[in-house]
Amino acid sequence: MKGGIPLDWSVIYEYRELFLRGIVNTILLTTVATVLGTLLGLFLCLGKLSKNGLLRIPCAIYVELFRGTPMLVQILLIHFAVIPSIWEIFFPGENSPEAIYSGLIALSLNAAAYIAEIFRAGIQSIDPGQMEAARSLGMTKGMAMRLIVIPQAFTRMLPALGNEFIALLKDSSLTAVIATPELNYAAMNVAKNTFERYPPYLTEAAVYLVLTLFLSRVVVRGLEKKYSPK
Amino acid sequence: MRRGNKWLMSLVLTVGVGLLVSACGTGDKPAASGSGSSGGGGAAEKVYVVGTDAAYPPFQMMEADKISGHDIDVMNAIAEAAGFKIEWKNTGWDPLFDGLDRGTVDIGISSITIREDRKQKYDFSEPYFEANQLILIPENSPVTKLADLKGKKIGVQAATTGELVVQKAFGNTYEGLKGYDDMPSAIDDFYNGRVDAVVGDDGMIKYYVKKFKDKKFKMIKDDSFEKEYYGIIVKKGNTELLNKINAGLKTIKENGKLQEIYNRYFGNE
Repeated sequence: MKGGIPLDWSVIYEYRELFLRGIVNTILLTTVATVLGTLLGLFLCLGKLSKNGLLRIPCAIYVELFRGTPMLVQILLIHFAVIPSIWEIFFPGENSPEAIYSGLIALSLNAAAYIAEIFRAGIQSIDPGQMEAARSLGMTKGMAMRLIVIPQAFTRMLPALGNEFIALLKDSSLTAVIATPELNYAAMNVAKNTFERYPPYLTEAAVYLVLTLFLSRVVVRGLEKKYSPK
Repeated sequence: MRRGNKWLMSLVLTVGVGLLVSACGTGDKPAASGSGSSGGGGAAEKVYVVGTDAAYPPFQMMEADKISGHDIDVMNAIAEAAGFKIEWKNTGWDPLFDGLDRGTVDIGISSITIREDRKQKYDFSEPYFEANQLILIPENSPVTKLADLKGKKIGVQAATTGELVVQKAFGNTYEGLKGYDDMPSAIDDFYNGRVDAVVGDDGMIKYYVKKFKDKKFKMIKDDSFEKEYYGIIVKKGNTELLNKINAGLKTIKENGKLQEIYNRYFGNE
């Protein structure tokens, strides 16, 4: 009985729908947060690199806020406080959106802060001479950034971005606290309901491992191969 | 050469850490069984650890840094009546059962419904509270019974009787079933409209209804819900402790103390 022995693995089959739904939602959470986080992160980074203080300071504050507080706290704050307040003000009488949307927003906003820093490091690692050369060829600042600096920086940023995406995938498990039906929620629920410990949590860990391996070995490595200088 | 040194280094480290871990592992076991046996022998000075999940008002909750509530008062009264010492520990719901398995917790009181599946793993005291399940729904909802909630989102506290009745009605993996870690979160999401209903013990739900006076909702009973009883649990086979608890419980039932505690929390019913 100690630690849940003997093990009854049939609970995984019994609750397979919960796990399958969990895997789908975990992938959905990670994918959407990756895309939204990258887009928002790019703008934040450009804001932070801007010479205009009105742009730079808010972006810097944003990054510090989201990097400096635990993601769990951000999830709880967004789900139980911020979104209900927004809905009360702008859509009175309407129901607040479901937990998965809170999870998506929290993950995206958090990822954006980290990705902004990755982008900034990548862009600042490119020799300023590149920008100067592009400018001297008559390119505007925006063009030089888009055509010369960012493509080179992107190659250098890929490993760090890969790390961030893997972290994001794993951090999506935190959204279980607001009952988002993702993978960790499924495992926790099965463990609580069946008193089986090893089978649900080991299954969960194995699935996360497969997903992170896929991300690092296939997605990130593929991108690195494609974009690495020949 | 340098490469060789590195290998040697890592080998020493691995073996060292391995030894350390195994030493801790073996050192742990006699200590654990030792405390278990002393619990039987030196009963006079034994302080029993009572575990609870202090997130279920008004039965057990945190007030400032103190655990308080109906169940806390009941357990304190039992210990006083039966003459044994207890120490409180806010373990949380899940670790409470783990703690009993591992011997770090002696007694569990946390609005635990006496249920067959739990009886197979733990020993229950006599009941100290009678509870009903209630369905919390918006005031204008047409729902009159549990079956009407089919296809709707239902909030419960995971692994409680509330979740069980919903699973029984709509299946173990019913998509609309949201199992929260704690009841307050489920109720919070009900007020924000994220779930259409909450199913849970009446004491808890009534307590929250009082807190949110400005919102419009109602509570209904379903005839299919059986009455249930809360019991205090100990590790399977710990009859000595169980007898003490039952003796204390009997005393406070007879001298009216249990009723007095009930009235303190649910008196205006």
